[in-house]
Amino acid sequence: MLFNSLQFAVFFPLVVALFFSLPQRQRVPMLLTVSCVFYMAFIPAYILILFVTIGIDYVAGIYLEKCRGTARKALLVLSILSTCAVLFVFKYFDFFTSNFVGVANLVGWQLSKPLIHIILPIGLSFHTFQSLSYVVEVYRGKQKAEHDLVTYATYVMFFPQLVAGPIERPQNLIHQFYETQHFDSERITSGLTRMAWGFFKKLVVADRLALYVNDVYAAPQNFNGLQLSLATFFFAYQIYCDFSGYSDIAIGAARVLGFRLMENFDTPYYSKSISEFWHRWHISLSTWFRDYLYIPMGGSRVNQLGWCANILVTFAVSGLWHGANWTYVVWGVLNGVYILAGHTTAGLRARAFTALGLGETNVLRRAVGITSTFLLTCAAWVVFRARNLGDAGYILTHFWRNWDFSSIKTEQFLLRQMPVALGSILFLELVQFLNGRVRLASLVVEAPLVPRWAIYGSFVFLVVLFGVFRNAQFIYFQF
Amino acid sequence: MSKEATGTTGLAPTNVSVAAPSPTSEKRRGERMRILALLPDSQPRLAASVSQSCRLPLRPLLRIVCFFGLLGLAAIGLDRTFTFGLRHIQTSEFGASNAIMSGRVNAQVVISGSSRALVHYDPRIIQSITGLSAFNLGRNAAQTDMQWAFLKAYLKHNAKPRVVIHNLDPYSFVLTREVFDPGQYLPYLNEEEIYKPLRQIDPSVWKWKYIPLYGYAVEDMRFTWITAVKRLVGINPREDYFLGYNPRHLHWTGDFERYKSSISAGVKIEIQPQAVKLLEDLAQTCQSQGIQVVFVFAPEYFEMQSLTLNRAEMFSRFQEIADRFKVPFWDYSQSGLCRDRDLFYNSQHMNQEGASLFSSDIARRLSLFNLDQLPNHRRAARNLNAVSPAPSVLER
Repeated sequence: MLFNSLQFAVFFPLVVALFFSLPQRQRVPMLLTVSCVFYMAFIPAYILILFVTIGIDYVAGIYLEKCRGTARKALLVLSILSTCAVLFVFKYFDFFTSNFVGVANLVGWQLSKPLIHIILPIGLSFHTFQSLSYVVEVYRGKQKAEHDLVTYATYVMFFPQLVAGPIERPQNLIHQFYETQHFDSERITSGLTRMAWGFFKKLVVADRLALYVNDVYAAPQNFNGLQLSLATFFFAYQIYCDFSGYSDIAIGAARVLGFRLMENFDTPYYSKSISEFWHRWHISLSTWFRDYLYIPMGGSRVNQLGWCANILVTFAVSGLWHGANWTYVVWGVLNGVYILAGHTTAGLRARAFTALGLGETNVLRRAVGITSTFLLTCAAWVVFRARNLGDAGYILTHFWRNWDFSSIKTEQFLLRQMPVALGSILFLELVQFLNGRVRLASLVVEAPLVPRWAIYGSFVFLVVLFGVFRNAQFIYFQF
Repeated sequence: MSKEATGTTGLAPTNVSVAAPSPTSEKRRGERMRILALLPDSQPRLAASVSQSCRLPLRPLLRIVCFFGLLGLAAIGLDRTFTFGLRHIQTSEFGASNAIMSGRVNAQVVISGSSRALVHYDPRIIQSITGLSAFNLGRNAAQTDMQWAFLKAYLKHNAKPRVVIHNLDPYSFVLTREVFDPGQYLPYLNEEEIYKPLRQIDPSVWKWKYIPLYGYAVEDMRFTWITAVKRLVGINPREDYFLGYNPRHLHWTGDFERYKSSISAGVKIEIQPQAVKLLEDLAQTCQSQGIQVVFVFAPEYFEMQSLTLNRAEMFSRFQEIADRFKVPFWDYSQSGLCRDRDLFYNSQHMNQEGASLFSSDIARRLSLFNLDQLPNHRRAARNLNAVSPAPSVLER
């Protein structure tokens, strides 16, 4: 079920009403049931895959707690391999076999491609990673094994974050299923406000920009440099608003029900370096890779070469996590290269700024940092969004060619949409900018009833009237 | 356990008021305590939570319900306001539709059809040559189902015309697959003649009608509601419809060349029985009401004609229906207009210059029928059909 669908508009209030009407002991089973309904609204049969993952890691968790020594380690490896096997079959099988056969053909072996062509279950990478984090944390002794299957299944399947995160840690979420969530109108208002902000990002910003981006990236050769540049700029905002919008709705929906999910974004485009960007973008995934891949590989506690390798491997795997396509791998590696280059040139840049009289807190220095980080990120987004590396190369080499201001529109995106698109980006930035200085939400909450409701109502109608309601999937669902 | 039950663990609510104990509540509390006693010690939090009252605090709940209720009312109000604004527009496409729906047209000659009708027939020219009032009902991207719907709505609200010129297209036997530009229909969903066929095209059209703002927000991508708001503050859209006719001051766009290269082998256009039936209904209903129907196939750029593989079959069906209902069928496929690219902007649509020439010809041809002597009788219609129409000045 999509958050931006009519079904969800009916589903969510019913779930909230039911949740608070039931006694506590019935709430978790109820959440599991509605989460199943939520997931089965996509492709019902795929819930079986989830059940398999849940079954494997539930049993593994219990035995990991009981076993000791080598058997324990073997059990962890077996559990991880089993869970990853599901991910591999559904997400990467075609990719790996195609590439293997391609390489084999190059060396003269004539192999046919054993493609299985199955539709990727929605959000598979998210719940697989959430499940993996549980077994690893049980293995590390930081989390007790969950003996109640229903509670564990609800941890993996909790519907607000089931298909696109945030990828939760068991320490943060499982214990909440044992707590009593009270009907607290302030918390509910806060959750609904967060959801409304998420809907604004998704429906007003992301889905309108998508109309332009989809047209241009479908056949970049048909568009001039101005259109390619604009589409790339729009995609940077589209993907941010699409994904952070989803996270806002997920966090808000969970908050309405009384659950706290981790924050996933922290205004990433205000980062002054790529390294900072990755601390503020998709935080739940970045920290997952940090905790379960980068640090176990040695992190930065190895020699310089080893550290470079760790960074590149982590980012390459992170790219591959996003999708079974070389564009994602190259995007990941490119970000790794950015980090390494940033680290290598950090001293040089600091000296150059100092020589120019621009101290750490200087506005111009910050602006240069933010702008250059944004431009580098946009260049990486080209690779991420392009259909293939050929298209990405074309776009990156044609940004500055044939700028024609008289032909900005595309087939789907008429000129009348441009003021709305640009206005929505400005509004987003304005709110984010102000929110960094004053707590806008608090100001609204403290306002008297009539103006407060007027603000809430106006915002709802702003989303309704300027949004695009085409049941567009969230980009990250495909991952 | 009792400590937890009274909320000293920090898990208890801070905002739930505790009602004064009554015999009933005491009894319930006793039951809860018995349940708690049965629960294993390993679930203290769950036990504590079971002890909490599941009662919903009424005031905050009411406040939330009130807020959403007000939102719903505001949505209904906005929806009605937008519809009101659109229905009071006097210019452009909505102006033409509003004139039809409010019964202000009452023309003697009515042209119905798709965008080809919309851009090919200039009622001002027809009026000046025939001396009869005329109006164009053509709709963009409408097939016979929606064309017939608008004609029915016209007949419901206006005096019966003497003649209906129904323009035929290569796609006359294909039903509308998708509602194009939903915004154009939103103010008229209370018209059964419009709503019913729309629902047949898209069963979810009920949402446009019954869910406030759904049509304006979800279906319409053109911000039609802004046009409505502008009208409410006194701003009408720029006038580009003249008695329902929408002239296109365009030159050849090159779309046809792209299309041609994509279908080098030609196209076979489907003939759907339901669409055939609709065309028959249109002819029969008009004739039964004493309205003379004339089928016209307006000029189509000649290169496109050879790309329609089943054109002969389609035209024989047109002719067969025309013969059966005694309707004249004026086919301009062989007109000299079809060979002049300067008169078209794509293969199906003439520009304003081409439309003027074509409208003049249609008007002259129409005037030869001595319409004053055709007082809405079937007999007259038969006579019309029996008379071999004078050859068009534009025919080769």
